[in-house]
Amino acid sequence: MQDKQFMKEMLTDSAHAYKDGRMDRRTFLALCGASGVAMSSVMAGDAQAAADEVVMWNWGGQSVECHGSAIGDAFTASTGKGVKFDTSGPLEGKIKEMVDSGNVTADVADADLFNAVSLGPTGHLEPIDYSVVSKEKTLPGYALEYGVSVILYGYAFVYDTEAFGDNPPQSWADFFDTAKFPGMRSLYKWANGSLEAALMADGVAGDALYPLDMDRALAKIKSIKDDSLYWGSGSEAHSMCVNGEVSMGMIWQNRGRNIETDTDGRYKLVNNQALAMPGAYIVPKGNPAGAAAMQFIATAQEVPAQLALLECLGMTPSNPAAFGEIPEDQQHYAITSAMNIDKIVYNDPTWWGENGGDAVNAFLEAIS
Amino acid sequence: MQALRKHIHPGWFIIAPLLILVATLYLSPILNILWLSVTDPEPGFGNYAKLGESDALVRIIWTTVRICIITTIFSVTLGYSIAYAMVHCHQKQKNYMLTLLLLSFWISILVRTFSWLMLLGRNGLVNGALQDIGLIAEPIAFMRNELGVLIGMVHYMIPYAVLPLLVSMEALDKRVMDASRNLGATGTQTFWRIYLPLTLPGLVASTLLVFILSLGFYVTPAVLGGGKVLMVAEYISVQLLVTLKWGTAAMLAALMLFGVLAMLWIMSRFMKLSTVFGGAAR
Amino acid sequence: MLDTAPTGSLQIRDVSKLFGSFKAVDGINLEIQKGEFLTLLGPSGSGKTTLLMMIAGFLDISHGDIALDGSSITNIPAEKRNFGMVFQGYALFPHMSVRDNIGYALSVRKRPASEIRTRVDEMLELVQLQDFAERKPTQLSGGQQQRVALARALCFAPPVLLLDEPLGALDKKLRVEVQEQLKDIHKRVGTTFIYVTHDQEEALSMSDRIVIMRDGAIEQVGTPTVLYERPATKFAAGFLGKSNFVHQAGKTFALRPEKIDLRAGQGNEGARASGVIRSITYFGSMQRIIVDTSAGDEIEVDIDVWRNQEMLSEGADVDLLWNDEAAVELRET
Repeated sequence: MQDKQFMKEMLTDSAHAYKDGRMDRRTFLALCGASGVAMSSVMAGDAQAAADEVVMWNWGGQSVECHGSAIGDAFTASTGKGVKFDTSGPLEGKIKEMVDSGNVTADVADADLFNAVSLGPTGHLEPIDYSVVSKEKTLPGYALEYGVSVILYGYAFVYDTEAFGDNPPQSWADFFDTAKFPGMRSLYKWANGSLEAALMADGVAGDALYPLDMDRALAKIKSIKDDSLYWGSGSEAHSMCVNGEVSMGMIWQNRGRNIETDTDGRYKLVNNQALAMPGAYIVPKGNPAGAAAMQFIATAQEVPAQLALLECLGMTPSNPAAFGEIPEDQQHYAITSAMNIDKIVYNDPTWWGENGGDAVNAFLEAIS
Repeated sequence: MQALRKHIHPGWFIIAPLLILVATLYLSPILNILWLSVTDPEPGFGNYAKLGESDALVRIIWTTVRICIITTIFSVTLGYSIAYAMVHCHQKQKNYMLTLLLLSFWISILVRTFSWLMLLGRNGLVNGALQDIGLIAEPIAFMRNELGVLIGMVHYMIPYAVLPLLVSMEALDKRVMDASRNLGATGTQTFWRIYLPLTLPGLVASTLLVFILSLGFYVTPAVLGGGKVLMVAEYISVQLLVTLKWGTAAMLAALMLFGVLAMLWIMSRFMKLSTVFGGAAR
Repeated sequence: MLDTAPTGSLQIRDVSKLFGSFKAVDGINLEIQKGEFLTLLGPSGSGKTTLLMMIAGFLDISHGDIALDGSSITNIPAEKRNFGMVFQGYALFPHMSVRDNIGYALSVRKRPASEIRTRVDEMLELVQLQDFAERKPTQLSGGQQQRVALARALCFAPPVLLLDEPLGALDKKLRVEVQEQLKDIHKRVGTTFIYVTHDQEEALSMSDRIVIMRDGAIEQVGTPTVLYERPATKFAAGFLGKSNFVHQAGKTFALRPEKIDLRAGQGNEGARASGVIRSITYFGSMQRIIVDTSAGDEIEVDIDVWRNQEMLSEGADVDLLWNDEAAVELRET
């Protein structure tokens, strides 16, 4: 035991030295070889932890800057640890692949809460340490064993005021009514949100959506298929509206403000029946920074971070303590603001975690 | 060791490291995919059995094959004309054309795809112009449908179609065409009886290249198809990244691999593939 | 045995070809008789192939006119001229059998299959390739390919056959053999042959008439004998066979090496010049002796070995003798 401890310390020191350039690669490899440890494991584990940084795995673009300023700065100030970014997008398959390959290079993944439901029990995620992270600083039901919702985004829709200015659509029922509101529609291609919208349009109450009635939802989706386009990324959804390809478009609600601005107000956001999606931070199993990941998540839960994320990315706070502090000009766009919170419905991450794969396939098969 | 040397040419020892590298880098991932297709989520041929059970899978494969065939026909036909024009114009014009052709290789597929939206989209330049001059009342739906996918794919594939054809046409002895004319053949006769047969290896190479590359198309159908044109490559990617049905993904990948191999095999029954892939025609 | 092919005469009138400002062919006038074997001879760049390509119709004529049997063909495209052509390198159709190659001209004229078959069989017999009908060109030797090209060009009985360096790809031994065959075939089909070569031996051994070309213009036209015996210019004399150039009385004469006799010593009766032997080279049946004359010319003499009984040796003094008609006075060029 003593030996092992010594060996580990020696290697960690060496890894430091190697990283700082005080030790050449060959010597480092020789040391690793002598102690029977693969270099990659030392590098990926202790060496990086010792490098005092947390790697955040997000979707690139604006989010690098925003996560850095909203969470990273406060985190570094309180812990002394740095923050780095991997912008390759933590899709479920990529997380699984990273953990399965044994080469885990990310600490906190900016994912969906349903990812925590599907990847947690299969051993791909670290459990959330609720002695560090707070269950009270998120909405009830959104603090799960393997992931906690830090922000909310939502599925809402925008409509073309030139087409429907006099009699604007109010609900998903209007969205799916192409007779009363003629024109093209756009929906999210990977089922999420689209299914819920279809069910609400078909008369299902917002609090009785789950478990989703797939047949009923798909039938509704197919009923406007000829008038529908389907988008796979936020920018695509954005361009379908800005280029006037659709008269109503389902969008990620945090894009609503941009679309209103980019079309000089021609397209207007409707928040009624918006579906709140818990965006969650999850931690890949065996993450290099270890427990520091939990401190990072806890930092993101704090009210200043929550408001900064709203300001910077349009992501709505999930910490109820922040709801009241949402600034005036953001009220309309934040789905948990006082003016919106009573109109919205909530996604069930457990249903999606358990049934998401089949639902996506069924949806793809229905629209193609 | 001595006995071994007798049976194995020493040259093999020299290229052995390379062979092993190729085997590791190429064969092992392929074997891994084949393995995955019969083991995930459970051992057996359950993934392959889905082909019989799911209309949707068959429909996706059929869409893919149909789009790839149409893309190939248009790309190769247009590519053939372009290559022909390049071979038979002045060197200076040919250099311009070649530059333009290669230039398109350097432009990202995303940029090219979105450019088509700008050009042929509902509110794109073409529809705008046609509406302005009063030729049409409603915009023509060029994009966000199968037509859009085909336009985008053909555009992307034409350079790939041109290059093998260009090589094949340039290698042609021009005197053979003179001989045909001299013997009294009209231009049309010379084309069908001499030029086309002699450029057939290039034509087949170009067809194979375009068809196989088209099978892997992903971005263009996803964007220009408005989400409704689902091709195998995108479906595989969704199974890998979103739904985590890696067995299904591996099965489809293996199916495409076998499909391409079967196609090559069938073609090898009718012609010497070595001539297509640049071997000597003897 | 063979249908007598129609045969035509060609009139080439003041024909020029310009490539930009470069005159590749410069004002050629030439009458080619029916059934004639006419050779265009010249070094590369002399314009002989350009002229042939204009006759074939592959190149436009910049100036002048070409007529077949008196009627102009200048504006008739190559495929309508009905001239046979044997290309340099043969240009056989590699994807077709020998039979299909030969029958191509008839096939594109949509003649009945039976007629094509009979005619191709005749042609195969003419060039003695009966056993190779179903082979592909790549499975034949160079000589055989050359014969296929010839049969293909003659199959539709053209009035004129154009041959562009048809023996260039063959080795020397084979070439002599094929020359014989070509001559024989020319006699049998009676078609007018226009033959381009840079090889003077080929030209001499086969042609009825030779046109020596230089820098796009005709240097001299005549039968092989006339050109050999009475070259008009230094270029013609030098290009066709070997020639010495003797300068006497302010004039230049061409003198063939085999028309000079040697006598040992000096002051022999009838000596035209005298000098010293510089070198002697042995060529089997004959010896080539180079003499430096006292007048400053270098003269090459070919004599039969059996005649060199006087044991002439290098450094020996000799006299040179020749008949009056052996020395041909050359035109200044």
